[in-house]
Amino acid sequence: MRISKGGLLVIMAFLTPLIVELRTVLSWFGIRLSVVETGALGLALIVAVLIWALWPSNGDTEAKLA
Amino acid sequence: MRNAYIDQFPEEARVIRATLWSSFLALMIGGTLGLIQGLHRTNVLRFIPSQDYYTVLTAHGVLLVITFTIFFLVGIFTWAVTTSLDRGVKDIRFTWGWYAMMTLGTLLVGVSILGGVVDQIPMNADVLYTFYSPFQAHPAFYVGFVLFVVGTWLAGFDWFRTWWAWKKDNPDERIPLPTFMALTTMLFWYLSSIGVAISILAFLLPWSLGIIDSVNPLLTRTLFWFFGHPVVYFWLMPAYMLWYTMLPKLSGGKLFSDPLARVVFVLFLILSTPVGIHHQYLDPGIAEGFKFIAMTNTMFLLLPSLLTAFTVVASMEHGARQRGGEGYLSWLKALPWRDPAFTGMALAGLMFAAGGFSGMINAGLSINYLVHNSWWVVGHFHLTVGTAVALTFMAASYWFIPQLTGKEIWNRSLGLVQVVLWFIGMTFMSNAMHRAGLFGMPRRTAEPQYQGFSFDPAVGTVAEIDAQIALGAALLTLSVYLFITNMVLTTIGGSTSDAIPDNTYAGTLSGPEDSPAIIDNLKLWTSIAVVLVIIAYSLPLASIIDAGGLFGPGIDPWKPSVVVDPSLVLESVRGVMP
Repeated sequence: MRISKGGLLVIMAFLTPLIVELRTVLSWFGIRLSVVETGALGLALIVAVLIWALWPSNGDTEAKLA
Repeated sequence: MRNAYIDQFPEEARVIRATLWSSFLALMIGGTLGLIQGLHRTNVLRFIPSQDYYTVLTAHGVLLVITFTIFFLVGIFTWAVTTSLDRGVKDIRFTWGWYAMMTLGTLLVGVSILGGVVDQIPMNADVLYTFYSPFQAHPAFYVGFVLFVVGTWLAGFDWFRTWWAWKKDNPDERIPLPTFMALTTMLFWYLSSIGVAISILAFLLPWSLGIIDSVNPLLTRTLFWFFGHPVVYFWLMPAYMLWYTMLPKLSGGKLFSDPLARVVFVLFLILSTPVGIHHQYLDPGIAEGFKFIAMTNTMFLLLPSLLTAFTVVASMEHGARQRGGEGYLSWLKALPWRDPAFTGMALAGLMFAAGGFSGMINAGLSINYLVHNSWWVVGHFHLTVGTAVALTFMAASYWFIPQLTGKEIWNRSLGLVQVVLWFIGMTFMSNAMHRAGLFGMPRRTAEPQYQGFSFDPAVGTVAEIDAQIALGAALLTLSVYLFITNMVLTTIGGSTSDAIPDNTYAGTLSGPEDSPAIIDNLKLWTSIAVVLVIIAYSLPLASIIDAGGLFGPGIDPWKPSVVVDPSLVLESVRGVMP
């Protein structure tokens, strides 16, 4: 893991205001998301963060290969 | 050998445990009432009549912003003074005395509010937390409130005389930082709570007892806000103290600057009180010029908060780098995010930044008109007192309860989930409240949706806003119950541990010796604070009394009642009949 479990939990929590406010910000640019679309976007962001956090860093990969 | 607070000051630890548990009980009841309100207002679940909403709202406000916060802070300040002076209070019986007085006051206030929904209790106090006239409560409410506030005054005296005794033994020493913070906070509390004391003792209580026939509503309102805004800083300063003294330590480092921290508390001592009129921008009886002075003073208060943000974040970065953190931002990863005490306080500070921004809108004389008395304001103070203060207090409990009981926290992982859940719940709820305020949805009402009128949200629908608030309120209540469960099981179920960390607070990179001694001159700063209060309030108060009289022009008090008067109903029906 690239980050501690506690750190990952906090990042996931921090995504909540980002996703909630992103919907408002996007509306200023004429992009109006429904609740379902906002949820889908949020889910995609969470999955992206999870992949980043759980993907072994280069050092780990090399260590495993060795 | 273990060196926790309970080992150093067992008697004081007992009193602090009592204050903290009084605080937790208020949090549990007040939090539950908040959920009832949230579900009722948003029409998700209604099981109380709408007129009882105001009893619930009063109890929610009083229990959370007065009882929960102040019981907690008197405990924490007792810890701060005794720990940093390294001596116990002068007389523990006196300490128990002010705790008993505050408890008795709380009981009187609580029972009088409960009378609003329990017919067997012949009292009523549906006056909301902002209890100015024309609302009138049962005398027990006012007597209870006075006892509670006088209890806090005595608590302050307890800390002052402990400091005086220490000063006698250490005449050339600077005041230790935690004690400095507790004393400066108490000084502006003494100054500001005079307003509410006069309001109750001279006007509201005699009026409630029938000794005087009427009051001047604008005068009691102004006296309330004389106290009503500084009380915000009375809750906030203990949270600031914990951010300054505990966050750097939990991060693994030291406080960046002791002198900056002292300057911040001096600024709050000077500026906390002459700002209350910013709550009265829409009151017609106060001239615009006085409101402008209040706005200017309020904007000055941004400075100490920005200084705090800088100092605390710099201290956390120092701690992270001591733990091996590197890079411009990568040091954030080195912080102890698994520790609920650290994570809760850090998230509380982050949310306080958002609350500060919405507070600037409230404080602006012209832009305030857009959000005044709307749900925006409720969203704002749920970020400040509801998160910066409440989440910091809950998070700090994960460090304090082991110090006070000698027991390890029952489940630290659950504690981490609890503080994160609060952050998520408050994000949903306060965001929706702010947005609802922007399209004009009012606060303090059980029925926000008027007939024949529809609100027009900038994004989404009113139903979505309501759903977001109900979801947020549910998550927050769940978080409160997880917290209480953890505290109960730690206290009654946990076993004594030798692994409790020593009772210390953060050291400093730049200590008090780097600041001039005048910073510790409490008499000077208090004198300046008094002068500023006189400048800000003397002319407005004189003008209000001149225009409306000391006891008002003779209005009839309106006594809130849950009993519907049939003759009034008939009159109303006749009025709308064609």
